[in-house]
Amino acid sequence: MKARLLLIPLSPLALAAPAYAVTYLTVEQAQTLMFEGSVLTRDFRVLTPAQVQAIESDSGVKVADAQLNAWRDGTGGWFLLDQVIGKHEFIHYAVALDANGAVRQLEILDYHESYGGEVHLPAWRRQFIGKHHGSPLQLNSDIKNISGATLSCGHVTDGVRRLLSTYALVLASAEH
Amino acid sequence: MLSCSPPPSIERARPLLGTVVAVRVRGAAPRAAHRAIEQAFAAMSEIHRLMSFQEHASDVSRMNREAARAPVTVHPHTFRVLAWAARLAQLSQGLFDASIGGRLVEWGILGSPTDALPDPRVSFRDIELGSARQVFFKRPLWIDLGGIAKGYAVDRAVAALHACGIRSACVNAGGDLRIVGTEAERVAIRTTAASSDVLPILELQRGALATSCGASSSRIHGGVRVSCHVSGRTREAVDARTTVSVLAARCVIADALTKVVLADEAAAAPLLHRFHAVAHVHHPDHPGSGWRQVGARQ
Repeated sequence: MKARLLLIPLSPLALAAPAYAVTYLTVEQAQTLMFEGSVLTRDFRVLTPAQVQAIESDSGVKVADAQLNAWRDGTGGWFLLDQVIGKHEFIHYAVALDANGAVRQLEILDYHESYGGEVHLPAWRRQFIGKHHGSPLQLNSDIKNISGATLSCGHVTDGVRRLLSTYALVLASAEH
Repeated sequence: MLSCSPPPSIERARPLLGTVVAVRVRGAAPRAAHRAIEQAFAAMSEIHRLMSFQEHASDVSRMNREAARAPVTVHPHTFRVLAWAARLAQLSQGLFDASIGGRLVEWGILGSPTDALPDPRVSFRDIELGSARQVFFKRPLWIDLGGIAKGYAVDRAVAALHACGIRSACVNAGGDLRIVGTEAERVAIRTTAASSDVLPILELQRGALATSCGASSSRIHGGVRVSCHVSGRTREAVDARTTVSVLAARCVIADALTKVVLADEAAAAPLLHRFHAVAHVHHPDHPGSGWRQVGARQ
């Protein structure tokens, strides 16, 4: 075990609270990982107000976006791309459903975290921890970890429940 | 320059253990890396399933419901974590204490596992570990293995990566993290300071790091600020403005020691020494940068 604490001076222009943003997989990488060897066919939908209402009452989770980003494979499986926005986090994730509508795999594609209202700003989404000077460290590329307050994942759990209702009420029923 | 380019690294993340868990593997072929990452996630899922406070079928839930009436047999992993918890409770004279579940439920931080509330005077001394992985509670109590189970899960993930032949990796479960290999990782530490002109970075090579912050899950209960970090001895919330990062060989130890340091920094020093661990403690009232070091470096 070898470790040292570095205190990196921050530029006065930097955001005070470190924000965390990381991309794990692209959509294409997640599709390859989850459906290796299968051909996925894009099958995007816009949920009707009635469908939105049905999903919300079935799952108990609010549908923030009527756009459903879905791909189907040749065997009845689905690749669903979704996003959840919490108080402090913005997460894209993908779910692979098998032909019975059960979750086969879940992968987080990217995670952006912030404290405050900057979550929707593209500039914030591009930056990682903060600008700095007087340091040889490349903060954007060298620091891939953050330790401290636990990153929240509760909204992903809710999102999966909403997607399972969406599958049952919209995708599965359309096939019959 | 080509010689300066970092080895290829593959990182994936899933929601597990109440947080986002990320596994990064370096220098392995993509197929082997993905297979190893899958094994690491499977190892952590198992710990989550066994030691979740909320999941009805977990060992922890079964103990909290039944162990005060009759001994409950638990999985070897759960028994091992309970043994670590018992050892750390004894060595810290109760500063670390896994029997604080009742307090966390009372404060609304955890959901109640049963209708009957535990005895408020319980301590780790009421948890009996018997032979054949049996656990018995001398009085009704609720055990919470939260952080220490997360640390143990990280250690299990690292073992799974090793078994797959991975030599360089990082597993991060919401700040409980462990680094494998010779490459140093830099970890930004989040403190409670509202604003700061420095960014604390721990540069770590081979080993575990856990950070706990007194303000985690902080809320007001009965006019008093409470959080998920409770002193095992006083059963009161620790100072919400303190952040503790502990470096140790194993993540299970690092996580448990953060709780001891949060509860009593001075009393924690010999324990840190014993485990060759070091703590970096931040408090806005500390002089200078707000950081000071406790414990001995190996």
